[in-house]
Amino acid sequence: MINFQLNGQDVAIDVPADTPLLWVIREHYQLTGSKFGCGMGLCGACTMQLDGQAVKTCILPVAAVAGKAVTTIEGLGSVDNLHPVQQAWLEHDVPQCGYCQSGQIMAASALLAANAQPSDADIDAAMSGNICRCGTYPRIRQAIHSVAAQNPAGAVAFYDPAAQEVKV
Amino acid sequence: MSKLNLARRDFLKALGVTGGGLMLGVSLNACAQTSGYLYSDEADFQPDGLIQVTSQGEVIFYLARTEMGQGISTGLASLVAEELNMQPQDLQIRHAGVHEDYLNPEFGMQGTGGSTSIKVHYIPLRESAARVRHLLLQAAAQQLSLKLDEVQLKNQRIITPNKSYSIGEFVNVANQLPVPEQVSLKPEAEFTVIGRDQRRVDALAKVTGQATFGIDVGHQSKRDIPSVINDSDANIPGLKKAALVRCPVIGGEVKSFNGTAVKAMAGVTAVVEIFNGVAVVADYYWQAKKAANALKVQWGLPDLAKHSSADIKQKFIAGFEEDGQEAHKSGEGAAALAGSAKIVEAEYHAPYLAHATMEPMNCTVWLRGEECDVWVPSQFADLSQEIAAEYSGLDNDKIRIHTTYLGGGFGRRCNQDYVAEAISIAKVTGLPVQLQWSREDDMRNDFYRPAASARMRAGLNSQGQLQAWDAKRVGPNIMGYTIDEVAGAMLPDFLPRGMVDWISKRGYGVFEDWTVDPSSVEGLWDDYDCPNKEVRQVTIDPGLRLGFWRSVGHSFSGFFAESFMDELAHAAAKDPLEFRLQHCKNKPRLAAVLNKVAAMADWKNGPKPGRFYGIASVSSFNSFVAEVAEVSIAGGQVKVHKVFCAVDCGKAINPNIVKAQMESGINFGLTAALMGEITLENGAVQQSNFHDYPMLRINQAPDIEVAIIDSNEAPTGVGEPGLPPIAPAVANAIFAATGQRLRELPLRL
Repeated sequence: MINFQLNGQDVAIDVPADTPLLWVIREHYQLTGSKFGCGMGLCGACTMQLDGQAVKTCILPVAAVAGKAVTTIEGLGSVDNLHPVQQAWLEHDVPQCGYCQSGQIMAASALLAANAQPSDADIDAAMSGNICRCGTYPRIRQAIHSVAAQNPAGAVAFYDPAAQEVKV
Repeated sequence: MSKLNLARRDFLKALGVTGGGLMLGVSLNACAQTSGYLYSDEADFQPDGLIQVTSQGEVIFYLARTEMGQGISTGLASLVAEELNMQPQDLQIRHAGVHEDYLNPEFGMQGTGGSTSIKVHYIPLRESAARVRHLLLQAAAQQLSLKLDEVQLKNQRIITPNKSYSIGEFVNVANQLPVPEQVSLKPEAEFTVIGRDQRRVDALAKVTGQATFGIDVGHQSKRDIPSVINDSDANIPGLKKAALVRCPVIGGEVKSFNGTAVKAMAGVTAVVEIFNGVAVVADYYWQAKKAANALKVQWGLPDLAKHSSADIKQKFIAGFEEDGQEAHKSGEGAAALAGSAKIVEAEYHAPYLAHATMEPMNCTVWLRGEECDVWVPSQFADLSQEIAAEYSGLDNDKIRIHTTYLGGGFGRRCNQDYVAEAISIAKVTGLPVQLQWSREDDMRNDFYRPAASARMRAGLNSQGQLQAWDAKRVGPNIMGYTIDEVAGAMLPDFLPRGMVDWISKRGYGVFEDWTVDPSSVEGLWDDYDCPNKEVRQVTIDPGLRLGFWRSVGHSFSGFFAESFMDELAHAAAKDPLEFRLQHCKNKPRLAAVLNKVAAMADWKNGPKPGRFYGIASVSSFNSFVAEVAEVSIAGGQVKVHKVFCAVDCGKAINPNIVKAQMESGINFGLTAALMGEITLENGAVQQSNFHDYPMLRINQAPDIEVAIIDSNEAPTGVGEPGLPPIAPAVANAIFAATGQRLRELPLRL
């Protein structure tokens, strides 16, 4: 039995320890916003946050999240209460096919939580693990800068599991 | 307007709309629903398959083209919303089932591709919406005993001088009225939606993780966005996950496998052989995948196993000496080279490429007795249905195709091999299954962009004007592989299945002797003025299966022709922009995008020190695009800093989406220009995942500036035309920087 927090809620699951977190989240918890892209941690479509850090979950054994807090796109914001990064993604019309965008948003929101005013080089470093085959990169960059511009004091907080409402 | 009217008549004919009546096309596809439309309710008002008004006043738009990121759901919704005086975001959008009303008139099939959707639907879809508007207004006037000019339609309400009503109140009366054949469209001067930036209708679902792709089908994830609906969250009891092990060389056959040992693994419910491999079916994907990894299969190898990439290129080069088939000839053709003051010759090469959509191929099948539901991210829903029928043995009308969002298409999802596989697994196991490909499966079982080589020759006169243009393209053709797949859907229903199979298997040979595949040679002669032109095709095909890859033939011929134009400009001692402008007197729209992009980039003064410009322009899919790439070279590495792009796509329905598609085409094209290459070793594709088939990433992606030429011409495509100019623009910039002419893709210093 592996215990962890999922989008603010305590959960426990009995699956083989080597099952990648991505498949546990998609198939056992039916949260399908996080996508499968490569299975090798190369494309970032599966990106979630683990204690606030962006991680590739297609290669992360579920055993590795025991006692930790997992946030998926479903836990980041809701339709009625979008995260500032989701809002910026809308305003810049970032998504095209959209398949990679959950991962992009999870990576970008982790970046902004750690660094409220990222430079272009910071964005390159934090976002280059996330492939977008539609090539939405210029808009991803603009959207991240726009969030930074709206939050000069760093109002995009670190993910705090205790402060989150239950969203599973 | 004459062009548009012609398109309208063709489309009406294709739809069968001219006959009138409320439920058109009822007999064409006897699905479970009486109307023949996948989700219709008899109580609703639905004069054709495209727009439905419910008694609650909702307006449902049935999306006949698939949304793969190109923005077509927003584009087409904008056309509907304009005529109904509402906002596109307020439409309910559902993926259409398979029905004759949903054909793409360009193909005669229910397909999305070729950058055709806006072009072919611009008038007919607005007419459909205008019919709905007309009938609602008429019904309201009749029901309220008012004159027609006393009722207005706005934001799903009927507005009268005294009061406003939900349109749902007039649905019953509207249903009794005859559908007018002729309707007047809203005058362009009154447009409030078309031509303006609209927020994408799919964006909210896509930033919240709620958009349903094929891979998400059958999961009960929360979805509270009234976006595109396709029954993807349907509860499929006992749905299993499947992984399939195929031969390392496409087309190989199973000789034997260790099924018993694998069947005993955790969660595994079935290990079965199908037509092209061995499938493992399990409760969860990871179980299926682990078991598939443990499978040991002995294969019988196909002829493709005799080919490797190094030999293929040598064979293509040898092909330059063959005569080949004539694809185009004007004036005296290549013979005119002899009289030229100067002859320039160069050979170019482009590799096979994979599509590498972010969502690997997948298909979900619930086959139960004489009924079958298929959820599939497909660019051709009717082809999905046809293939499902063929492999299940059911009639087409027993198969409901539910199209999902596509996690990228780029032409890959025109082919239906994954539908054939999923149906086969469902049939042999009797289980509802979701077949999920791995990235490795996807990379190694694509329908690839053909490799191609070209020998370009041109003659200049003493003033540096083109006198003769001679292009010989060597390589395989896509069309034969396509005919294999589409024959069933294209040939008439009265032909027995066996005959369809027989014809389709012969498609390749028949086609080769019949004519040159247009997609092999498109873009090799038409953009520039020259009195004598000749283009020939030499077919050499190692047998790796081929498909449509974003911008198709233009993806390589744009590189060949536009690199060569740059070489010719230098040979003529002319500026590359000036040289092009001198040769597009008959292509004013091409000249206009060239002039525009030159102004944007300040071509005359050039970039800042250490940076270099290259220019290229290509007309494709009825649109015109010119691009300037700004590059620098450091440590043997090419860095593309900025791309300027000017596009003429006729009237831009949604300028923001046009820009997004140019950005997308440029970045997709940069992956191919700088790093894309699929190679074969003894017939097996050597690349497997993003470490050995890399994609452009954000740190490599340039700043992009797009300008749209203001136009009232009929709208044309934007999904593909942004791509072809970028590889030659970068190659030409590399030449400007280094003096080194790179004639092979990907570009390597």
